[in-house]
Amino acid sequence: MSGISLPEAVEVALELLGADGGVVIAGNSATNNLRWANSTLTTNGDSIDQTLSISAFVNLAGGVATGMSSGQFRSRSDIEALVEASKASAISAGPAVDAMDLVAGPNHPDFMEPCEVLDVSEIAHVSSGLSKIFADPSRHFFGYAEQSLDTTYVGTSSGTRMRYSERTSRFELCAKSHDRTRSAWSGQGGTSLRDVDTNQHLMDVSHKLDIQLNQIDIEPGRHRVTLSPSAVSDLLIYMLWSSAARDAAEGRSAFSNPSGGTRVGEKLSSRRLTLATDPRVRGIETFDHVVNLGSSALGSAFDTGIEIGRSEIISNGVLAALGSSRHAAQEAKLPFTPLTDNISLVDSDGAGTLTELASRMGDGLLITCLWYIREVDPQNLLLTGLTRDGVYVVSGGEVIGSANNFRFNESPIDMLSRVIDAGSTVPCLPREWADWFSRAQVAPLTIEGFNLSTRSDAI
Amino acid sequence: MIILPNTPTPEQLSAAALEAASGLGATIAQFRLAKHDMRGVSLRDGEVENIGSESNVALSVRVVHSGAWGFAGTTEISIQGAIDAAARAVQLAKLSAKVLADEVVLAHEPSHGKQSWTLPIEDDAFSKTDAEIIDFLQHWNSKVSSSSIVSHIESNVGMGRDQTFYSDLTGNEISQQRDRISAALTAIHVSDSGFEDMRTCAPPAGRGWEYLTGTGWDWESEIARLPEYLDEKVKSPSVKPGNWDLVIDPTNLWLTIHESIGHATELDRALGYEANYAGTSFATIDKLGDFKYGSPIMNVTGDRTSAHGLSTVGFDDEGVAAQEWNLIKDGILVGYQTDRSIASKIGMDRSNGCAFADSALHSPIQRMPNVSLQPGSEDLSTKDLISNVESGIYIVGDKSWSIDMQRFNFQFTGQRFHEIKNGEIVGQLKDVAYQSKTPEFWASMRQLGGQQTYLLGGALNCGKGQPGQVAPVSHGCPSATFSSVNVLNTRNESAK
Repeated sequence: MSGISLPEAVEVALELLGADGGVVIAGNSATNNLRWANSTLTTNGDSIDQTLSISAFVNLAGGVATGMSSGQFRSRSDIEALVEASKASAISAGPAVDAMDLVAGPNHPDFMEPCEVLDVSEIAHVSSGLSKIFADPSRHFFGYAEQSLDTTYVGTSSGTRMRYSERTSRFELCAKSHDRTRSAWSGQGGTSLRDVDTNQHLMDVSHKLDIQLNQIDIEPGRHRVTLSPSAVSDLLIYMLWSSAARDAAEGRSAFSNPSGGTRVGEKLSSRRLTLATDPRVRGIETFDHVVNLGSSALGSAFDTGIEIGRSEIISNGVLAALGSSRHAAQEAKLPFTPLTDNISLVDSDGAGTLTELASRMGDGLLITCLWYIREVDPQNLLLTGLTRDGVYVVSGGEVIGSANNFRFNESPIDMLSRVIDAGSTVPCLPREWADWFSRAQVAPLTIEGFNLSTRSDAI
Repeated sequence: MIILPNTPTPEQLSAAALEAASGLGATIAQFRLAKHDMRGVSLRDGEVENIGSESNVALSVRVVHSGAWGFAGTTEISIQGAIDAAARAVQLAKLSAKVLADEVVLAHEPSHGKQSWTLPIEDDAFSKTDAEIIDFLQHWNSKVSSSSIVSHIESNVGMGRDQTFYSDLTGNEISQQRDRISAALTAIHVSDSGFEDMRTCAPPAGRGWEYLTGTGWDWESEIARLPEYLDEKVKSPSVKPGNWDLVIDPTNLWLTIHESIGHATELDRALGYEANYAGTSFATIDKLGDFKYGSPIMNVTGDRTSAHGLSTVGFDDEGVAAQEWNLIKDGILVGYQTDRSIASKIGMDRSNGCAFADSALHSPIQRMPNVSLQPGSEDLSTKDLISNVESGIYIVGDKSWSIDMQRFNFQFTGQRFHEIKNGEIVGQLKDVAYQSKTPEFWASMRQLGGQQTYLLGGALNCGKGQPGQVAPVSHGCPSATFSSVNVLNTRNESAK
């Protein structure tokens, strides 16, 4: 985009930030995507986005202030403008509450290497598979495939120089009967679309639609349900986003202890459930150092460069930690717990596939996807949302047909106390949150008394 | 209008892109250059938590080649970047054509040639210094911080400016600029028995800084009353669940309109284009012209022309001039929102101009115009509506929202729930959510407020499409009364 490479831009910005320093992030995000509906391709896209983002630190009389700016650069003067804007914002802001000394993070030897390049071969792999899917005249197919490659350069005034590349892929296939009375979905996250077996997804949705030929009306109410890994992940990701130590310590979160402090140490489930974020979990690896431009309940620019290890939010059923920046952790008197962009849920006593778990449930409902999840009451983290693309009726351990959809009203925290069985942990694609959070390995769970509050007539 | 130092002009970039696309065999080629500026300041308990700005520029080329769409975008703003984008768009179109069942056909739109359009504002918010904005928010904070009921305060101001240049092979060269601004203050109460909050109800608007200083919203009065509202909410009884008559204020009803009418009348959803993601619509094509969407007093329009509307433009992202049209007339479904390619699929002569992309890095798709419920013929006040309710709830401000993938089952909460007894407000209730099915809910609408209650609400973050795109959109409406709506007690919903 200019004569200045991204890592060079990081160095120029750090030089311009001067002695007070700051954090500089330069990113190259390349994406290819295909979308289809009614068994034909609709839209597609190929984009390359290069952005430079700066968090300037400015020493003021009362402490260190921060301000942010970001945009594209075509010359050194553009970088100068971004640095000046971030400095000016910092000076106006006044001392930052979360100011801490930057750590000396890693100095990656490949920092000056160019961005990795994404070509269309991976998306072409999917398009060739779609030909066979669309040839099936018995249903209509809808879906989406995306391959992205992000190369990020992070520099700080404390000497940190990090370069990392992340490949992220996503494939979703939805099938509907021609009369639109049946609908099924199959999804796969990962790092490469080449790993997608489109035929396997076709067989999966076709099998589900066949089961739905027997449709059974089920009244709303509290039901025993088995949640698929995708459905569990959508509920727990929201819980993870709501697990800020700062808010809990201030008494304004579902993780606050009504008599003061937080609920850390409280037993949330009688099952040996462990909910962790860990950048090194095989298959859902993600970058293992803090990269932050601004401040929030869960992070701080001042933490950039700190290594992220495994954090167990729930350990053997006990609330073990809450997400935090270093400053928030100090204030809450809890261990520093930086979160990362993946989630894993393991039940140490869990075993078997989703189908086997549903069978062990005996009688109940097997829920495959959740949708439109929103917070209703932050005091208990009551969430609402819908079931979608497949609720199956299980009777005597057998899937005998499909049910109508429901609106649920449930708290994921409270739900954990009603887990009565679990399967083995497997990779899954969160249906609701995959736009922001696609790295998940989660166990399916059987829940007693899941609140399916009202009926949804949607298919 | 887009001026980038040391960079070719929009016209030069456009010429390179369109010539390259045409040379590679594209039958349709559209070029866009877009610059998006954003600034934001957030305070937490009077201290700055975040302050910053973004300025993002990208260009894109969209083509039809071999009957298929192809789209490519880049932040490389150069002649070579434009030519490369054209080549990549053609490459994707060729790939898509191999598995294409329906060729792209666009509804006709006359060329508008060289055009320029700017959303009018009075006071440029981007001219304000960071210090001015912080001082402004701290003034707001000071109005509530002395209240003993207020434990924490969160406040923010955000502003955005879109500058776009659109051109195509038919000769369009359209430059546009529009601004928007938003702000909010939330007062939070924490005690041994839990916590509650109360937020300002002012919607984002297509205005400048004047919006924060008294034009279009009375911030000073609303913020001054927040502690009183919060105190009353903290002490209020929990609602008894069951069927209640509701008087819904425009500060809440706009969101119900957005979810249950706005998205339900998107033609791409009705055609199934969003089936894998945002969902479809119960308002299918076969219902057009005779489906009873709601009560006979229900009239809903779509437009891209409302003053201060967040979806208001001169031309859409396919060069279609802004229009206004009926979606629901006397309670009957009579129209949809379209872009050019889906308009042609149902035989419309012309698109009503709802193509939009949130940046030049995303392909335009059909997005929501301003969708608004028209006021009643009689100019009733909200107090008039309340006076006609024997037992009910007056709901103010939006909060939680959720609706199913065909836009039937929805559930909403709000900021304040004032109990009505014998036509008078007697105090607040809490733990309220109202839940219904779209056609039943709108059929239960029995009275509309008049023009004096009409307010343009809206949101900056309407999500749709894959890859995901966000769009700003406004919804005007009066206060309205609904009979016998299912009200849930959210504490009961969470009880084991």
